Amino acid sequence: MNCERIREQIPEALAGRLNKADREALVEHLEGCAGCRTEVAELNAVWRGLETVKAGMDAAPDPEGTPGAKVRFQEMLAAYQAGMAAVQPAVPPVVNKPRAAWFPTQPVWRFAMAAGLLLAGILCGRFLPQTGAGGNPEIAQLRSQVENLHQMVALSMLQQQSPSARMRGVTYTEKIAQPDPQVLDALLQAVNHDANVNVRLSAVDALQKFATGPEVALAMVNSIPEQESPLVQIALIDMLVQLDARGAAPGLARISKDMKMDEMVRQRAAWALHKMEVQG
Amino acid sequence: MEDEQAMREVRDGAVGKLELLFDRHHAGVLRYFQYLTSDRTLSEDLAQEVFFRILKYRHTYQPEGSFRAWLYQVARHVYADQLGKRKPEVAMPEEVREISGAALPPDREFQKKQETLILRRALAAMPGEKREVLIMSRFLELKYEEIAAVLECEVGTVKQRVYRAMRDLSDRFFALSGERAS
Repeated sequence: MNCERIREQIPEALAGRLNKADREALVEHLEGCAGCRTEVAELNAVWRGLETVKAGMDAAPDPEGTPGAKVRFQEMLAAYQAGMAAVQPAVPPVVNKPRAAWFPTQPVWRFAMAAGLLLAGILCGRFLPQTGAGGNPEIAQLRSQVENLHQMVALSMLQQQSPSARMRGVTYTEKIAQPDPQVLDALLQAVNHDANVNVRLSAVDALQKFATGPEVALAMVNSIPEQESPLVQIALIDMLVQLDARGAAPGLARISKDMKMDEMVRQRAAWALHKMEVQG
Repeated sequence: MEDEQAMREVRDGAVGKLELLFDRHHAGVLRYFQYLTSDRTLSEDLAQEVFFRILKYRHTYQPEGSFRAWLYQVARHVYADQLGKRKPEVAMPEEVREISGAALPPDREFQKKQETLILRRALAAMPGEKREVLIMSRFLELKYEEIAAVLECEVGTVKQRVYRAMRDLSDRFFALSGERAS
């Protein structure tokens, strides 16, 4: 075996990870090669030195301490779970309950019971007074108040100093049923100016619900060159594709040719344009 | 429970299981960033971001490979994004500057300490991609197969890169210390 191949095995040998056959070949080579013996001696000195560096780094004082990191993590996890719960309606667990004694066992009686219930439903619907939301101003007013409350909470959380609180604010916007210009502005502000990349990413996701007009797509495409993180830029491009925002095509074309942009972002913009053309 | 099983459950919606993975790997991820940046506070922020991205992109996890390899792939991307935000800075430990030109008492313990400081200085001066492969191999003790998965290259390439990084570090160390091994 030549010296170069042998030398590539030295770090593995020093780490004790070399298999028996390779180790024996290495030892045999070293017996007859002074150059490789010097190489092993030098790399061994550095390898052992790195162990001391590692021990020093591992024993370095911990100003925040792991508990602080754990609390931050748990806060983030809780915010994420709250966001998930807000967007996914809870599915009641399927429980196999024993059948009630009054429930008929014969299919023919079950059919008769179902038909009876259906008829009763139709009669009730026909003759009982109408109580829909449109017909009851009190319920409509209550709904509007709850909606306003959701908007207020989301807007207030989006202005918090802590990134995790702002993140909760972004996920809270999912609770808002009607697109609101103030919430939309706050989300666009978060996408463009929030110091935390995670909040910016979540705000991009949350925008999907509010991005109904062409001006939102334009604001999103204009935000791409302003972003520092390629991840956020790609998320914005993906969202434009998801929204099928054809109005953003000229902006995407500029991005795909802008050599100042990250290569991955340029490629993604070109992909987005192609995708929009195919969909069209 | 194995890491891969826990991550499969996180991917399938049991996101609370991520806490188990955080407890197992946070220290390693934090060390990875500390070795790269020499900045404790920044490393803590970056480590938090790694776990946030794991949550956000949990659906992309492929259980065929090692979880650790995937974790450090995410960590690499987080670090790359960080580099895109500001120029990479390698903090020089204060004590390294202090020892320049100091007289050497013939004390073995002091000599060892000084060698360690010079080695840290040599490590900090290495190009990022070489330092990274040494951090993964020597400090985080990732297997070559795992490093290959993180760097998306062949195991043979990892072997070459680790050797070349060691060679580079050794040259810098002996140049700084003014002597070579005998």
